[in-house]
Amino acid sequence: MPDLLKKLPSEIKNNKLKTGIFLVLSAYWGLILVGTFLNLN
Amino acid sequence: MNVFLPIAEVSVNIIGIFSLSGIVGILSGLFGVGGGFLMTPFLIFLGVPPTYAVANEANNILATSVSGSTTHYLKNTLDYKMGLMIVVGGVFGTLLGIWTFTYFKGIGKIDIVISLAYMYILAIIGTAMLVEGLGEIDKARKKIITKKKLHVHYWIHGLPFRMRFSKSKLYESAFTPIIIGLIVGFIAAIMGIGGAFILVPAMIYIIGMPTRLIPGTSLFVTIFVSVIVTFLHAFNYGSIDLILVAMLVLGSIVGVQIGQKFGESIDSTGLKTLLAVLLLLVGIAIAYDTFFADHAVNNVVKIDVNNLNPLSMFIKKLSIEMPILYGLFSILFAIILGVGAAFIRKFFSNLRKKYFKKIA
Repeated sequence: MPDLLKKLPSEIKNNKLKTGIFLVLSAYWGLILVGTFLNLN
Repeated sequence: MNVFLPIAEVSVNIIGIFSLSGIVGILSGLFGVGGGFLMTPFLIFLGVPPTYAVANEANNILATSVSGSTTHYLKNTLDYKMGLMIVVGGVFGTLLGIWTFTYFKGIGKIDIVISLAYMYILAIIGTAMLVEGLGEIDKARKKIITKKKLHVHYWIHGLPFRMRFSKSKLYESAFTPIIIGLIVGFIAAIMGIGGAFILVPAMIYIIGMPTRLIPGTSLFVTIFVSVIVTFLHAFNYGSIDLILVAMLVLGSIVGVQIGQKFGESIDSTGLKTLLAVLLLLVGIAIAYDTFFADHAVNNVVKIDVNNLNPLSMFIKKLSIEMPILYGLFSILFAIILGVGAAFIRKFFSNLRKKYFKKIA
């Protein structure tokens, strides 16, 4: 686990596009899930 | 240039509807998707209430699927037996979907249910397409070739009542296509879509049909599902607007032909990623519209039937006084336009072949 955490910054640097897309998709899903939760309440 | 829709009781921009249905038609032809999951949200953005957008897009899908299915019938690339098995499930799924639609309409929540369903469907398809498209681009860049398993066995393949589907060369449980049809019919009834985006992957990966039979069979199933959806919406809610349907059908039929022509000459891997981004953007727009925008109730206009033009008055009166006849007419109208478009395409294709033969 600690090894994985040490490697993480370099992995992120190497895959900027993939990381960006992952973050955008996470934000997108977060928005619609939170929006749905607030709307239904 | 606005046109008043007598049934939906809203004015819409005629050029906007034509161009959007044309663009969605091009995307449908290019990627082999029905396009309903894009057109219905666009109609909602143009001011058509969700209940009417769903019903009228289902009628439009009927025309385009009749057109596509006739083309495949002429090419003999259709498995009727498998199609009819999916239709059996599709009928029950559609009835269940209409029942659910009626329930949510009854408690006044149908518009939010349609919006949420679209938001999630677009998010799921968009995410899946984006991940797949980027993966393909990545593999193409690194020149990686992967072998995919042709047929993976799931629990669904162990079901009883096996039967032979000679055209697809399969020996499979009758429940497999019925269950798939049930899911597709349910979603089609609530969202006004053909359901090809579920049906096509299910036919490839779950049923294991030969690829050449898939588009024709999928369109064949869509005809029956959209006939039931259109009829039930026309009969139960009187929500089919023939003026809107005519605009949608003309735009999308022309667009599909252009899209299919484009598709023959370009590599669609990069475009698939772009389509995924477009789907996610439409999903965001729906999310904004549902969660944050002020919903002004200015779309509904009370109209006096006597102040409409003769055509609108005729449509309005027919839908109120004879809903069954009106429902049947809207189905027949879409079928005639769809078959007509397929034969026109065949005529021009033959003409082109003849012309090129003469030159050669």
